[in-house]
Amino acid sequence: MLTLIYRQLRAEPIRTATTIIVFAAVIAEILMLEGFLAGLYSQLRDAVLNRGGDLIVTQAGITNFVATRSILPQMARLDVEGVDGVRLAHPLTGLSVIYERDGRRTPIVVLVYDTAGGPTDIVAGDATPADRGIVIDRSLAVKYVLAVGDRMTISDFDFTVSGISTNSAAFLTPFAFISYDDLIDFYWESDVAADIATFPLLSFLLVETQPGSDPKDVAVRIEDRVDSADVFLPKDLAARDEDLGREMLGPILGLLLAVSYGIGVLVVGMFTFTTVRGRLRTFGVLKALGFPTRSLAYLMLFETTFLTFLALPLGVFFATIIAAAIQALAPVYLILASEPAAIVRTAVATVTFAVLGTLMPLRTIARVDPAVVFRS
Amino acid sequence: MIRWILKSLTSEPWHLVASVSAIGGAFALALFFEAVFAGESKQIVAYIDQSDADVWVMQRGVSNMHMATSYVSDWKADKIENIEGVNKVTPILYLNTVMQAGGRSWFSFIVGIESGNARAGPWSIAEGKQLPGPGEAIVPAVLARLAGLGVGDTISIAGHEFTVAGLSDGTFSMANSITFVTLADLADIMSTFASMSYFLVDVAPGVDSIALAKRVTSEIEKVNAVDNRHFTKNDREVAMQMGLEIIVLMTVIGGTLAILLTGFSVHSSVSRKEHEFAVMKALGVQNKMIYFCVMVYAIGLALLGFSLAVILVLVATPITASFVPQVTLQVTMPALLRFIVAALVVALLAAILPVRRIVRIDPVQAFKVS
Repeated sequence: MLTLIYRQLRAEPIRTATTIIVFAAVIAEILMLEGFLAGLYSQLRDAVLNRGGDLIVTQAGITNFVATRSILPQMARLDVEGVDGVRLAHPLTGLSVIYERDGRRTPIVVLVYDTAGGPTDIVAGDATPADRGIVIDRSLAVKYVLAVGDRMTISDFDFTVSGISTNSAAFLTPFAFISYDDLIDFYWESDVAADIATFPLLSFLLVETQPGSDPKDVAVRIEDRVDSADVFLPKDLAARDEDLGREMLGPILGLLLAVSYGIGVLVVGMFTFTTVRGRLRTFGVLKALGFPTRSLAYLMLFETTFLTFLALPLGVFFATIIAAAIQALAPVYLILASEPAAIVRTAVATVTFAVLGTLMPLRTIARVDPAVVFRS
Repeated sequence: MIRWILKSLTSEPWHLVASVSAIGGAFALALFFEAVFAGESKQIVAYIDQSDADVWVMQRGVSNMHMATSYVSDWKADKIENIEGVNKVTPILYLNTVMQAGGRSWFSFIVGIESGNARAGPWSIAEGKQLPGPGEAIVPAVLARLAGLGVGDTISIAGHEFTVAGLSDGTFSMANSITFVTLADLADIMSTFASMSYFLVDVAPGVDSIALAKRVTSEIEKVNAVDNRHFTKNDREVAMQMGLEIIVLMTVIGGTLAILLTGFSVHSSVSRKEHEFAVMKALGVQNKMIYFCVMVYAIGLALLGFSLAVILVLVATPITASFVPQVTLQVTMPALLRFIVAALVVALLAAILPVRRIVRIDPVQAFKVS
């Protein structure tokens, strides 16, 4: 049977190649969307987890790290460090600004840090911003062709790019990192605001607990003592941000994914169906040679499954190549196109509908009269 | 000849159904993605569109609204109002943040408007009050439905509790939802004093908005004034980066898949008719006529597939609106034209290869085979 399938596929090389390419294109389309969603959620989690600390303190009532504005009173740091079980509280401030150059605009989050919360993966330059220095996410560097040493003007304030980092973007927004010394200069010298009081000087505290302390107990004690603050375990805050991403982009991308699955399998099913219908004459010959209908059905099923499994790595390859190209051109996107779970889901869906497409014309195969085939 | 083409198309109904379904399915995917893109890119700037200010004034260095932070001293409103050609100035405060509603977190643009002044407020109300009072919020009806909220329920913005006083229509998109509160309440949340985020400027009849914007920028210190058209363009450009770019990309991939499938379906369908064309040639039909028949056949197949795609998308649009109300779909004529032209061009190109082979066939060979 394998020889027969092999010869059949070789006899129609264009049809075989086209079938594999179409199946692979459908798989790639689905994997791209799956990968985009997986990457989005991964970035949201990492944005919190990469900041460090055993606990994260936010303004009371603020329950997310990204896409929000948290302002803690200046005295909150002292109050938190006075709580039993707290070793250190590292300050972190987040500012949402638009970077504009040459008529192009990009929303960025500037994270101001001191002893913790800075960039984790540096690909060029230094991790610590120099005087009036800024460490930027690679997506900004690529988009605006910025290198270490280049000037970067935000709200009329000139920074010098002192480092370029990766894994420092979330919610489709790149991060940039500056020091607290420069934050004050930035507020005073830039056009950020007429009234400095309106801008946050402290957004979050990254709390290191004493060795042996249970972070959950420490969190309760901080909330009891500091009214102006809420406290989260980093993994809980990360989960909240992931939920926010699911809430905001999940429905629309989930819908696109569902439509991709639906139409992808329809296309695969119809493609397989056409192939089977186109081979009725061959089936007649095989029946005349003594092949029972069941064997012909197995033959087609095996061929379809074989083609789908040939298309699967090609589809993963297409998706990986396209994802790599997108990430190279716009590194703000993280597309995890080769996630095993997504590949399995896509493979199962594709095989299922290819098999259904094969089974649909089964009755026609069963009714093929070998004598008629030879007469024609 | 037309009868032959019709008979030819319908002689193998299952093959026709399969080809049309494959073409239709693939184009439906691309059209659906395009409809999502068109709907969302319109909805994403709905506030600016609906507010329809002639000129927007904001802090220097800022030129859009989405994800931006802008502060302008409130006394500048009087100075702007005194500029010749200015009819009215309406201040708003603006904050993008995460709010809590129905036990879930929602990213929202909070707009603070003057009490009792509808100029910058919601433009369509589904239920409840038109404008928020102190401690009240007008939330999008879509958000209320998703969060299980009704008028009189409570939401939380940055730890401040608000009572839902009204539900607005047309204020929800994938990148943002718009919640309205009073200026005083939002100033309290943002800890601001005597600062506004934007001024919406209405100009007197006959006044050029672009020229007035330039004048405001030059005469008022530390502000940037942009006319409505450019402000919308700037905002859409930033908002596009919040997920819409990926939809454009998926539309391109879906479109490529559709083109590939159309090409294959037409090519294989025409190839299957090769023998019939050879017989036609043997019976004296001119090459020009064979070309014509094949082209009409290919166009017919592509048009049937495309029509199926349009029907699928038109059926899917209201169903999507019922089950996924947070997504706005819009099927536009330019998108339909773009895709139909692509379908026809590919169908014709795919038919050329087999037809060239057909016209070279020796008619005697055709009869020998039969």
